[in-house]
Amino acid sequence: MSGVYIFSDKNDIAAEIIGFAKSAGKDAILLVFDEQTAKVMGNSGADKIYLVNGESELVESYARSIAQLLREEGAELFAVGATPRGRDLAARVAVYLNCGMASDVSTLSCGDGQWLTQRIIYGGAVQQTEVLEGLAVVTIPGGKFEPVSGTGEMVNITLAADRRISLEETMPIGHQGADLSAAEKVVCVGMGLEKEEDMQLAKDLAAALGAEIGCTRGIAEERHWLPAERYIGISGAVIKPKLYISMGVSGQVQHVVGIRDSQVIVGIDINEKAPIFAAADYGIVGDMYEVVPLLIKALSE
Amino acid sequence: MARIVACYKWVVDEADIRINPDRSVDLSKAKKKISDYDKCAIEAAVQTATAIGGKAVGLTFGTADARQSLKDALSRGLEEVYYINAEEAAQADGAATANALAAAIKKMEEVNLVICAEGASDTYQRQIAPRIGAVLDWPVATSVSKLEVTGNTLTAVRKLDDCLQTVKVELPAVVSVLPEINNPPIPTLKAVLAAGKKPVKEFSAGELNADLVPKTRVADLQGYVMSRKNLIFKDGEAVDQVKELVAALKKEGVI
Repeated sequence: MSGVYIFSDKNDIAAEIIGFAKSAGKDAILLVFDEQTAKVMGNSGADKIYLVNGESELVESYARSIAQLLREEGAELFAVGATPRGRDLAARVAVYLNCGMASDVSTLSCGDGQWLTQRIIYGGAVQQTEVLEGLAVVTIPGGKFEPVSGTGEMVNITLAADRRISLEETMPIGHQGADLSAAEKVVCVGMGLEKEEDMQLAKDLAAALGAEIGCTRGIAEERHWLPAERYIGISGAVIKPKLYISMGVSGQVQHVVGIRDSQVIVGIDINEKAPIFAAADYGIVGDMYEVVPLLIKALSE
Repeated sequence: MARIVACYKWVVDEADIRINPDRSVDLSKAKKKISDYDKCAIEAAVQTATAIGGKAVGLTFGTADARQSLKDALSRGLEEVYYINAEEAAQADGAATANALAAAIKKMEEVNLVICAEGASDTYQRQIAPRIGAVLDWPVATSVSKLEVTGNTLTAVRKLDDCLQTVKVELPAVVSVLPEINNPPIPTLKAVLAAGKKPVKEFSAGELNADLVPKTRVADLQGYVMSRKNLIFKDGEAVDQVKELVAALKKEGVI
């Protein structure tokens, strides 16, 4: 069956991509790897669901046989949820199909045998429009398309896997505190913070606001004052709180791309020329060691 | 001696990019640098080579100006660098880049591990490690936060959205490492001076006989413009600035 072939290890993204395929007037064919997911996705609008059986627990290891399936079926697009597993699988399938791939696209549309995509580059400073001719591969983050409903046929299929890589152990990630990407308010600390003890100031502000604490990459990966899960930016968390307040964050483009969807952005920094102010709704140019305690006091009044 | 290959890209420093009022992109003032994340890939290769008594080498695919990267790369602990000098690099997409890198890896002897960063700091496509693995038909492990080589096996910890996976991979293999895997040190003066004496092996596009034709076409580039209120309180006493901010946030309904 020709059409858009879809995989995501996140069901909500898979459902959104099915929604895209249907809105583009294409058949949506979903690949799943376990019966539970097949059941959950049963009414997601897919015209066909392939339940893949095979010898590996790693979906990435099926890249070659998935590519072969796509070729035999005359697929028009392999659209994959932009998660670590999805990006890995997608890039390998693109090689086996000898075709182009656009990663983490923010828009996707089809026309006249080609796919038109947009994505951000240079850490978020520039938006690039790319054209992919014919069969192509894309990865798509969540929240870009609307899911639909409807049932289709279910087909069991056995595919060969690369056995040179084996899964030894799976451990849950111990997230400390709430998920940043779901937080309503976020206080973000940057390299303007002088000492690790001064994290208390951020904690006090977060407590006064009822906010989660996030940070820039430097605070997590150079100074190790917060775990890597806490940093916001293109290679870290992408957040969309109602309120984001930064203290001592200069606002480099790689960080700002992670806060763009915030409802209100506030920057507090001593350097008037810091790029955070161009990205902010409100800002205070001043010494955060003076401003933040005053802000905590004002908030508790 | 076993070679550990670190791939890196010579990229525009995004901090120097200027967006013109018509949203066109001005790269004319931009300096270049080794992609930030690739410094972690280089350091991972150096550490792995040290641990197993192998040789850490660099590999880059770039235009003529990527020559400026060689000394920087060599000052970071690599013993030699392979440089694919090709004008095609300017237009290369993930497919062309992976083809070039894989072709050069095939020409090297005794490669048992290729280490890439997850993505380059300019395009951040996160395609190259899995693509190289597929081109070479070597196993791949991406999103690696920890790696160890014992004999002919690599044990890697992959950090995914929902879990940590420990995987065992037969060598030769390709991995992509997360920036948290290490803290690349700033090269010492001694290392910088020694870098000039280390060997560089240059390949031309013709020598590699690889398909360097991009499969994606860039139709447009536009500066991203953030549309925000930009109300910045910069004058007066801090206490008054805070008062104005709190009033504004109340009006927004966010506190």
